[in-house]
Amino acid sequence: MSFEPRLPRDDVNVSPTHPLAEASWLLVAAAVAGLMLAVLAFAATEVVARWLPPGVEARLFGDLWDAFGEEAGADDPPRAALARDLLARLAAHWPENPYRFRLVALDEEELNAFALPGGTIAVTRGLLASVESENELAFVLGHELGHFAARDHLRAIGRGLVLGLVLRAVVGAGAGEAAVPSLASELASRGFARDQERDADAFALQLLAAEYGHVAGAEAFFRRLPDADAGLAERATAWLATHPVSESRIAALHDLAARSHLSSSGPLRQL
Amino acid sequence: MEGWLAFALQVGPVVVLLVSTYFIGSAVEARHFRGLRMRELRSRNFPIATLREVPEGWKVEECGLVSGSCVISLDYFKRFVAGLRLLFGGRIASYETLLDRARREALLRMKESAHAAGYRAVIGVRLETSQIAAATRQGGTAGVEVLAWGTALKLRAP
Repeated sequence: MSFEPRLPRDDVNVSPTHPLAEASWLLVAAAVAGLMLAVLAFAATEVVARWLPPGVEARLFGDLWDAFGEEAGADDPPRAALARDLLARLAAHWPENPYRFRLVALDEEELNAFALPGGTIAVTRGLLASVESENELAFVLGHELGHFAARDHLRAIGRGLVLGLVLRAVVGAGAGEAAVPSLASELASRGFARDQERDADAFALQLLAAEYGHVAGAEAFFRRLPDADAGLAERATAWLATHPVSESRIAALHDLAARSHLSSSGPLRQL
Repeated sequence: MEGWLAFALQVGPVVVLLVSTYFIGSAVEARHFRGLRMRELRSRNFPIATLREVPEGWKVEECGLVSGSCVISLDYFKRFVAGLRLLFGGRIASYETLLDRARREALLRMKESAHAAGYRAVIGVRLETSQIAAATRQGGTAGVEVLAWGTALKLRAP
């Protein structure tokens, strides 16, 4: 038997693909797949947001927010009881309301309010402390009720889930799970779209008019934000991030009030 | 704006890591392949084979076990590309070069150790691969060991 000295071949066990070509092909394909997945999932979210019965929604999400704040605990902030009472009165002006609303007070100094699935409205302690009249607070609560009426809150949750899912699949596959969670929550925590905010404002105006006979004080909260004292402005950044305030939004409020023949002057109720 | 800043802060390091590990990894790999080719050329006259029995006519004076092993690890870029295969499947080309390097390195080490011990040939060569560290998502460096072993022979002159 003879031995033929031969060199191992370089090209047998290694694909000729250039690593960068493989990487870019995969990245483009992942981006396209992710996009298609996102579009599909957004459509599905829209369907769910429109058709999910509130009863089912309450059962699904009812207990989810308990950890966020006490329903009526010993450390309930002042005005929380009042806000709860106000919420009940406002909701009474929404006859076909399918939810049983509850209000939780978040122990945070920032000014913010959220509509959470299942009929929970979360209001921060900072917001409760900063409102100057009942009408102001009523507008904030009415605005969140408006999100429930349009079921924006479900869309927001769905969007968060979808983004999380897509990012997990695409980014997570490549770079690892660690890169995903904060990214998804960051993107999902963006506020509602501008027209959703406008519609919620309109809804709040109707409730205000029904409760007080006028809509005075509605935009007082917005008006105070920009030129408020430094402390308040700083704490208000959270609100501004999720509820962009602009002159045009205030103008739109006035427009809306005028068009619906809602009186924009009247006595404000003190807290 | 804040969101995009956070986005950039999260994606930025990944991109930097990808680019730098691509260039570092490619340079290291090219150098290793050059070295492998040179050593293969140098040792090409040392016969190794997978034969289980001594070929007829060979007069074996002495035999012994020789082995060579090589542990090789991934880099960030290769792992990223391989990770994307999670979505599509298919050949993980970025790992093929790694394993090719590991196999050839292990064989060369086996040959070189046999040669250094005065053996003339190795028969019954086997290769085995084992994972010695898993690619955990949180960190840790994945690695495989390729072990080559065989029976080295000292031959009497015919």
